Amino acid sequence: MTEEEEEDNNSRSDGALHAVGWRRRKRRLLSPAARLHLSVLRGTHRWYKDLHVYQLEHPTQVIEWTSARTVCVAGYSPSKNEILELHLPLKIFADENKGLCAERDFKVVHGGFTDGPVRCLRYIPGTRCAVTGDGLSSNLQVWDLGGDDSDVIRRTGSIEGRRRRTGVSEGGSRIAARLLSQPQILHGAQISDVQLTELSSGQTLYQLESDSADPLSSLHFLSDTVFLAGCSNGNIYVADTRTSAAPQLSPPPASSGESVLWWTDASAGPDPSGCRVVRLSSSGQALVSDLRNPGGAVSRAQLDVQTRCCSPDNVRVSWAPVLDDCIAVSGFSGAVQIYDTSVWRSEPQEARPLFEHRGHAVSPEQSNDGVPPVLVTSHVWHPKRPRTLLSAASDGSVHVWDWVDQSAADGQTEAVEKR
Amino acid sequence: MPEIKVTPLGAGQDVGRSCILVSIGGKNIMLDCGMHMGYNDDRRFPDFSYITQNGRLTDFLDCVIISHFHLDHCGALPYMSEMVGYDGPIYMTHPTKAICPILLEDFRKITVDKKGETNFFTSQMIKDCMKKVIPLNLHQTVQVDDELEIKAYYAGHVLGAAMVHIKVGSESVVYTGDYNMTPDRHLGAAWIDKCRPDILISESTYATTIRDSKRCRERDFLKKVHETIERGGKVLIPVFALGRAQELCILLETFWERMNLKAPIYFSTGLTEKANHYYKLFITWTNQKIRKTFVQRNMFEFKHIKAFDRSYADNPGPMVVFATPGMLHAGQSLQIFKKWAGNEKNMVIMPGYCVQGTIGHKILNGQRKLEMEGRATLDVKLQVEYMSFSAHADAKGIMQLIRMAEPRNMLLVHGEAVKMEFLKGKIEQEFSIDCHMPANGETVTVTTNPSVPVDISLNLLKREMALGGPLPDPKKPRTMHGTLIMKENSLKLVSSEQALKELGLNEHQLRFTCRVQLQDPHSDPDTLHRIYTHLKSVLKGYTIQHLPDGTVMVESIVIKVSSSAEDTNTKVLLLSWSYQDEDLGSFLSTLLKKGLPSGLC
Repeated sequence: MTEEEEEDNNSRSDGALHAVGWRRRKRRLLSPAARLHLSVLRGTHRWYKDLHVYQLEHPTQVIEWTSARTVCVAGYSPSKNEILELHLPLKIFADENKGLCAERDFKVVHGGFTDGPVRCLRYIPGTRCAVTGDGLSSNLQVWDLGGDDSDVIRRTGSIEGRRRRTGVSEGGSRIAARLLSQPQILHGAQISDVQLTELSSGQTLYQLESDSADPLSSLHFLSDTVFLAGCSNGNIYVADTRTSAAPQLSPPPASSGESVLWWTDASAGPDPSGCRVVRLSSSGQALVSDLRNPGGAVSRAQLDVQTRCCSPDNVRVSWAPVLDDCIAVSGFSGAVQIYDTSVWRSEPQEARPLFEHRGHAVSPEQSNDGVPPVLVTSHVWHPKRPRTLLSAASDGSVHVWDWVDQSAADGQTEAVEKR
Repeated sequence: MPEIKVTPLGAGQDVGRSCILVSIGGKNIMLDCGMHMGYNDDRRFPDFSYITQNGRLTDFLDCVIISHFHLDHCGALPYMSEMVGYDGPIYMTHPTKAICPILLEDFRKITVDKKGETNFFTSQMIKDCMKKVIPLNLHQTVQVDDELEIKAYYAGHVLGAAMVHIKVGSESVVYTGDYNMTPDRHLGAAWIDKCRPDILISESTYATTIRDSKRCRERDFLKKVHETIERGGKVLIPVFALGRAQELCILLETFWERMNLKAPIYFSTGLTEKANHYYKLFITWTNQKIRKTFVQRNMFEFKHIKAFDRSYADNPGPMVVFATPGMLHAGQSLQIFKKWAGNEKNMVIMPGYCVQGTIGHKILNGQRKLEMEGRATLDVKLQVEYMSFSAHADAKGIMQLIRMAEPRNMLLVHGEAVKMEFLKGKIEQEFSIDCHMPANGETVTVTTNPSVPVDISLNLLKREMALGGPLPDPKKPRTMHGTLIMKENSLKLVSSEQALKELGLNEHQLRFTCRVQLQDPHSDPDTLHRIYTHLKSVLKGYTIQHLPDGTVMVESIVIKVSSSAEDTNTKVLLLSWSYQDEDLGSFLSTLLKKGLPSGLC
């Protein structure tokens, strides 16, 4: 008997023992996964304002907003995959009459089939177009997401990337998209490959002049013409598509090791020079810098992440669009962490997350018998709702969650270390 | 060509009522007979004029099958059977037969008594209708008549819900009704064997959804209950006696244990009696876990959940109460609601759909002032929560079911074609089967390829095998000669001799003879030899023999030469052949009429 059960027995009459015995039997009727889940449930009902858990048929590595209420996801298995546009459940948006809205499900509003894996997916704002990369070559596929008259996502064309003799980096091309008068795609697998292609004509409008073969981990538009290219070796290049001037380079901190990989995100702002950039390394180092002084760091921290099994395909770091100074980090494990960078200093210190979403790691589908651990493959913030995020993991789960800032809720300053 | 016709009855694009007609092997079957809950007039009934413009439906339908007790699947049944007129068999599972009349009567009361409608079925009609019901057991084949047989499969979704397999000869159709592929706390998941029906008919309504996990729904429920209890409020949960009530009770009981909560949970007595009664009857319909618990002790003896007494409603402090009926339209749940509605600390959780005209429906539409009897108004200040716990299949579920049943064609009803193209493509791609999506009122005709079983006599089989050649290949049909005898309901393929024997007929042999005149100066034997050589060079690949008795044989054709009495240079060739060699014989006579080429020796 466990301690608990013994205690129960000693304090109960015979009649009640029968009830206790039944309770014990009933507890055993729950599977280990269900019991674990219930214990998480016990704690977490305070931590989330909203929590929705879905299971896709196949896992996705991409989540991309195509409107304020729809996202695109796509599979990454080696051959045929599905690309889906999902409408978020109405319950999330029913702010006033939330109680009266029972709609909790995703709706598949458009769907299509790809011939290969989808490692990168970018929506072109203001259109019904998206561009994907399969991670195998630097060529990209162009898609029509469909309108009201059809629910099929169709491939409408492709964009050729520049080939390079040194071969393509892992993860293939990175993509950024914008709509000026015409949809334009910025793409490349390495710094020397980066080019801006006009979608309709296929014409190359700009090419980044550099001999460096640094593989890219991301591309971001900071303004209509200024963009930032983050490389996996930690270098950051900032360039302007109007000029052919050499891009501005800022290397990572000198202390980073040889085989360390880096990921980057840049916060969009009205003024590109005021843009903040966050860099994250595979050893868990995080660095925030300002584009006015891209080489220097504004603040640094050592994040509380597991660094042993991160795959370069999965790691994501992103600025919160609404919450000042907050970033989300995922891909190191089955969790998504939210950090408040405003409390970071110029000397690196250990930072504890403001919030950790661990739902993917305790999903009931996971078993303990030699199955590889579940890793979060992607996350995105909602563009307008301050604490709403979507996250996806390698087991096909997709979560939509709206977390509660415990420190604010409890009136205590809890997790965040202040000097 | 043999075909199966399927027509979903209904008008336009409306979803919300199921009634599907199937014509298979000369039989007409109605699948479900639902009421549309959104209309107040005759549009809520299916349009039976498709079957016949006037008069009773008995002559036009071989049977009616109801999948489960939800009103959008059985709500129009009494109207159909008693007001339009149908006296044939109505099939449904035992639990459905027990629960349907209760829901129909409730529904009737609300519609007639509360809303004052007149063109509606009466209590007596419900009773008369149920007298025509023949209950089904799971996996048991029922012969509706000599040719039509049906079988029910477990569908999950609600107690007693079934998917039904319909077979006439070698053609079959499976109708899913509402089903779900993930087990519930109190129901199992749908299951069907690899029955390979010609058509699998399913709703498309949920085909494009990806469902939020059950645990999240439960979490939300527990969170709301907990928050209310914490602030000292009371939670009312109106339930129908079965199904969800048990599930929510188990959930609360476990949560109360974990969180060590002390607030009382009650359920109204009406609930226990009914629930226990039904569960004892239908224990085979719940899932394994419930069955285990029930066998060990009574379903409703929870540690934290006690029987309710109406006086408890006035007790101070937090509590949770499960009470019937489910839509707050009468009885205890309504009484409690009236007492608690004025306090904003309290909460009412509606776990399912509420019919128009009920208080449940009104508050779910946001109404905060209700008119009660005697012109009194009730201010609704408590929190209203709508939580759907119903278990439906989704996009993934449909694919799983198709994988299980392996239909030859898929048919999705109640969907807009433009919104279903992706799913259609997905099904066609993954399973290489056609996916049809008829609009309401539109008929889909699916051509079937029924295999007709024929017995073959052993002699004939042996003979065919003795002919040698490649092994039988279904993709390469081989011609065989035999006689098909149809006696009573059996088909037999036998050799011609055997057929003649059975029929007591004599076989006649036909032989053709023809004379061809030929100018040839040689002697008869020489002419014959020349003919032999000539034929050998022309007819390569045929068996040509020059026999010592003075004839040439080509296959079975005999050729003799003799001289004409008047002139030895005029040869008369006698050709004789049997009916089998008719073609070759004709060819030879034409060939020989042309004469022999001069270069022959």
